[in-house]
Amino acid sequence: MVYDSTTNASIPAAASNPKDFAKKKRVNRTAKLKQCKLDVRREQWLSQVKNKGFKEENRGVDLQKMPASDNKGENRPNVKLVINPSGEENDSLMSHYSDWESPSNSPIGDTSSLASNVSVTNFTGSGGSSSSSSSSSSGGESGGCYSGSITEEDDGDDGCLDDWEAIADALAADEIKSDHNHNHNHNHNPNLEHQMDDNSPQLEPVETNKVNHHRAWRPDDCFRPQGFPNLLKQNSFPMNLGGFKNVGFTPIACPICCEDLDLTDSSFLPCPCGYRLCLFCYKRIVEDNGRCPGCRKQYEQLDQGSTTSKLARSCSMISRH
Amino acid sequence: MQASRARLFKEYKEVQREKVADPDIQLVCDDSNIFKWTALIKGPSETPYEGGVFQLAFSVPEQYPLQPPQVRFLTKIFHPNVHFKTGEICLDILKNAWSPAWTLQSVCRAIIALMAHPEPDSPLNCDSGNLLRSGDVRGFQSMAKMYTRLAAMPKKG
Repeated sequence: MVYDSTTNASIPAAASNPKDFAKKKRVNRTAKLKQCKLDVRREQWLSQVKNKGFKEENRGVDLQKMPASDNKGENRPNVKLVINPSGEENDSLMSHYSDWESPSNSPIGDTSSLASNVSVTNFTGSGGSSSSSSSSSSGGESGGCYSGSITEEDDGDDGCLDDWEAIADALAADEIKSDHNHNHNHNHNPNLEHQMDDNSPQLEPVETNKVNHHRAWRPDDCFRPQGFPNLLKQNSFPMNLGGFKNVGFTPIACPICCEDLDLTDSSFLPCPCGYRLCLFCYKRIVEDNGRCPGCRKQYEQLDQGSTTSKLARSCSMISRH
Repeated sequence: MQASRARLFKEYKEVQREKVADPDIQLVCDDSNIFKWTALIKGPSETPYEGGVFQLAFSVPEQYPLQPPQVRFLTKIFHPNVHFKTGEICLDILKNAWSPAWTLQSVCRAIIALMAHPEPDSPLNCDSGNLLRSGDVRGFQSMAKMYTRLAAMPKKG
């Protein structure tokens, strides 16, 4: 799927790159928003546009991280020539054309994985096939993972975006590969550890700095600190979230009425003792005797003050992770 | 109404799961009415109630868990805080100290704890309370043991 669009998409790639920059800007803004604001409406909106917006973020991030990849990669020096942070449009064309011309990398021969095709063409397209012996081994393996992730994402794609996205992916293949180096380090993949160990320690600081300066972390970014709260995962697996374990027990369902806690409820902490319950039960208890079920202390009665302090408390609780 | 049903159903599943975990308590839901429960609790050891099995009747209000369940002993028991005739239990958590965080299971545990630690100063069974308040622990224990043997133990052939 990716390969097909790569071969016949030279012009759309050039045309769609400005659009790509616009998307990148937009993604930056949303990423900042994501870190600063934690109100419920935005989260709901996020979950609505998750499918679409998430993909855009992916592209933006991939392109954005490219400059970082210049400083590393001793085992694949050719990439340096191709990926130039200032002129991405030209590069995309150049590498693409050279893809066509280079005889050594006809991807038809290599059917192991789509993504490995992409990454290999990217390397050899710039400077010939001299480096392919050293890089293709890692490219093949990490590219395998990459193809897995990309097909997941592309499954829901509408076809019109496929072309330039594929080009962007091809450009970013090197970057993604380093992403996967880190992923593998996290996963302790025995196959890759021996070859990743030599280059990943020096890569990491560069990239982390880069990431720090330019944008917020994506929820699934592998450079993201583990302790940060993950909104996407929080929606689906509130119990498995590592960050919440520090705070205490976070039930899925309200212990009083056994209804599932939604996002508002799960960020609602009415009592300092940490006993959580849904807003409906809270209201019923306040109307009844107004004592916390967990510690039997009276809930704060001042409506105005209590809501603001509650909000502040829940926010501070979330940002503490 | 709906909330109490959902809550009781969850407790029912919990009880099914924990049946092995707490051998002293056996909570059974009425076949046709989830608001009626019966429980069998074992008398705590080193008390006059040891060896007896006491039956409790739960009547759960529709406002549960905001309102406490009504519990009474079906088995006769000689205890300062249990009415000898009606089986009514004088326990703060069943009255004003109730918390919605409590469950039927935890109520059973509280009742077992009450059996082991009677409060003679707020008696429902005045005879029993008076025995304890006058310091006649031995008299209280022998009476309680007798009623346990009479009412709470399986009849011997």
